[in-house]
Amino acid sequence: MPEAMGWRMRWLPLLLALLVHALAVSALYSGWHPERELVNVVTPRIVNSRLVVMEPKAKPKAAPAPAKPQEKPPVVQRKVEPVAPPKPKPQPQPAVVKKEAIPDPDAIRRKAEEEARRKAEALRQQRLQELASQSFEEALQEEEDAQDAADAEAVADEAAMSYSQGINELVVANWSRPPSARNGMKALLLVELVPTGDLVNVSVVESSGNPAFDRSAEQAVRKARKFEVPKESSLFEARFRRFYLLFQPEDLFR
Amino acid sequence: MPEQISIFELVSNASLLVQLVMALLLAASITSWMMIFQRWFFLRKTEADLATFDEHFWSGIDLRKLYGQLEGADDLTGIEKIFVSGFKEYLRLSEQGGGDTEIIMQGVQRAMRVAVSREEEQLDRNLPFLATVGSTSPYVGLFGTVWGIMNSFRSLANMTQATLASVAPGISEALVATAMGLFAAIPAVIGYNRFSARVDVLMGRYQTFADELLTLLQRASHARQTRQ
Repeated sequence: MPEAMGWRMRWLPLLLALLVHALAVSALYSGWHPERELVNVVTPRIVNSRLVVMEPKAKPKAAPAPAKPQEKPPVVQRKVEPVAPPKPKPQPQPAVVKKEAIPDPDAIRRKAEEEARRKAEALRQQRLQELASQSFEEALQEEEDAQDAADAEAVADEAAMSYSQGINELVVANWSRPPSARNGMKALLLVELVPTGDLVNVSVVESSGNPAFDRSAEQAVRKARKFEVPKESSLFEARFRRFYLLFQPEDLFR
Repeated sequence: MPEQISIFELVSNASLLVQLVMALLLAASITSWMMIFQRWFFLRKTEADLATFDEHFWSGIDLRKLYGQLEGADDLTGIEKIFVSGFKEYLRLSEQGGGDTEIIMQGVQRAMRVAVSREEEQLDRNLPFLATVGSTSPYVGLFGTVWGIMNSFRSLANMTQATLASVAPGISEALVATAMGLFAAIPAVIGYNRFSARVDVLMGRYQTFADELLTLLQRASHARQTRQ
């Protein structure tokens, strides 16, 4: 009995104490990682303000134009002009598609619809014949022109990207968030500059539905006052004289 | 992978003094847990022994017979020791002396008081250690933390660009010391409070038993004196 008592009194407590610590350490070790990962989920972005350049609105004209050709704001139309010339090809099609689209809303009866389609088909055939009648060289030349224009555009895109990045950062830095701002709000601003980069005018084109948020976005642009803009006047004229800024906070918690 | 710093890396990267503090706290923690378990077993056993003896004692058994059973044994429990020492003193005094109840009772009382205080010593053993760990290890851990943070801020002073990332690991590893201090202190404090309360209860029962035995012996002695 004293022998057993000695074992119980001396070694069993030590064993249990070590067991407790081993458990604690393993719990700590296994519980360590998820906690750290959770911390890393938080994104540091405050707001996503994007320069919306006009010509993406010109491009879609080629394919999904039938959607709503009438609804385009006049600003966009005006802006399209300088970008459009290097792209002669897609122009014919919208003309066709437009005609196809117009009867669509009226088409309650099937017959009218069919008739319209036939008409459109005829027009397209005519157009194709016209195209075919062009000489091969002419077509090649056209193709090359288009390629060159695309290349030049890509270079301009890259240059414009860094400037628009700077503009975004400046605007975001000047933005003070209204308490009513929520994730998913979007405000589209039209910003007008002069070649020195000074702000001429800013206006809300598409409201987020929250006046306070619209005002805060507008205020952010006004506070920035002067932006870094490209020195080449062609790039400035094309991209930065008038541009759209999409304001969209992303990091807020609901 | 800076986000995957494991706790072991934190400990191994800490400065020597902080590591020493951590080692000290770990040792204190292991020892105090050991004592917690040891006290726990010991007190549980003592309480069980007390209950068994109480039942045996009040079952109407003749005290001389009970004494005869216990006298030879060498692994007496606490309560049995108190009984044996008190009864032995009673027998001796009543055999030697003229049988003056007053003198016998004084002797028995003294003998049992000695036995009870010896038992108290047994019960209280290791509890001061738990109290010490419970009250000082948070401070020791805090010392390690303060030292670690001091160092990590001092190294920050030499940097041209101060970022959170350059101090965060140092602070994190320093805080491990506080965590360990608390980890050692909390069970020690709980154990100390719990066990000292149980020891108090046990001591109260020992005292009560001693008084009861004294009453019984006084009655027997008085009866014998009047018979003579």
